[in-house]
Amino acid sequence: MTENPRYSRQALYAGIGKPGQARLAKSRAAIVGLGALGAAAADTLARAGVGTLRIIDRDILELTNLQRQILYSEQDIKDGLPKAKAAHKRLSLVNSEIEIESVVSDVTAVNIDDLLDDDFDIIVDGTDNFETRLLINDVAMKKKIPWVYCGVIGASIHSFPILPGETPCFRCYIGEAPPPGSVDTCDTAGVLGPAVLVAVGLACVDVLKILAGKTEALVHGLQMVDLWAGRHRRFGLKKDSQCPACLGQYDYLDGKGRSAEARLCGRNAVQIHPGEKATIDLKALAERLSPLGVVEPNPFLLRFRPADWPEGELTIFPDGRSIIKGTNDLSRARSVLARFLGS
Amino acid sequence: MSNVTVRIPTPLRSMTGGADEVTVSGATVKDALDALGAKHEGVLSKVLDAKGGVRSFVNVYLGSRNIKALGGLGAELKDGDVLAIVPAVAGGK
Repeated sequence: MTENPRYSRQALYAGIGKPGQARLAKSRAAIVGLGALGAAAADTLARAGVGTLRIIDRDILELTNLQRQILYSEQDIKDGLPKAKAAHKRLSLVNSEIEIESVVSDVTAVNIDDLLDDDFDIIVDGTDNFETRLLINDVAMKKKIPWVYCGVIGASIHSFPILPGETPCFRCYIGEAPPPGSVDTCDTAGVLGPAVLVAVGLACVDVLKILAGKTEALVHGLQMVDLWAGRHRRFGLKKDSQCPACLGQYDYLDGKGRSAEARLCGRNAVQIHPGEKATIDLKALAERLSPLGVVEPNPFLLRFRPADWPEGELTIFPDGRSIIKGTNDLSRARSVLARFLGS
Repeated sequence: MSNVTVRIPTPLRSMTGGADEVTVSGATVKDALDALGAKHEGVLSKVLDAKGGVRSFVNVYLGSRNIKALGGLGAELKDGDVLAIVPAVAGGK
């Protein structure tokens, strides 16, 4: 085996070593969500030489992302890029020797089985909500894929690794998803860039241990850092003997939880899914909509600002998903969409 | 009765006047949480559900051990113990 000098410093580290580095090169990792955590994790794992990265995100870039989402630039925002495509572009420049698969999609109970197939060696948490994490947990438990939970809010960081069948799982830890609005999010409580980097550091060292075959080096339990206060603590986790996911009952995979069909998505925006799988011809749609307002298409999506609703903006993806900005009202969003898409 | 320190997570500090630690006394975890609730209105409902159990997405630790492993809210306290209220963190975007 020829050694790649690119990774020499990492392979020199005794915990990884040359055999560990070789294992990283053969590994497949999925990163779900490419916001603050996911972007920094993708950058870290691409540089570390993880052989294949599948990066998945549903959102388009916004100016408020740049403070902490380290893969993206002002130009990406000008280009109206979805995060998955902007991340793909950047990661290809960082490391052209690995495989990158980018997917612009919301991860739901309907598609997660396809998105996270059995051949993944690890799933990395870059999400921003408990429901998607419970869904990831179900799929990881079912397919016996290790995954690493990581959450950040303000300057507080939580992280722990989950080895299906061995350690307590995420459902053992939180039970059910809390009701919407009952916990802080980065949109409500803010988040510091340095806290994101610490969170990703904690999570990615676990990812490297798992992929390098050094699971014995994992230190189990919840790691909690309050970066502002300079406090780092570790708490024990306990398996829940009644945990459905540990007992082979995958409620979230079976569709438990909030309907993904229409929901609030950030501030003043609603996301709507088509009821079934759809394929939209963006070019034809752009031609149809152009007399009715400003249309900005790119290869991945179409943006439309209706002339008669100046504060509104529709983003339509080829799989039929839409984000309607300018309202918090689900039925208003649906009716706007019906007006312009006829669905 | 034992004197214990309760560590307050960031999202609940608005209810403790900004304090990140509150000293209370009680014989059990339940006593200590009740005493915390008596001192600072509103905190208890963020930790316990309507049935009086710890909310599923909140964990309470006595030292570094989850109270679930120590008999739950009935776990006994001794002087100088540290209780930490830890709501799960959702953010990431």
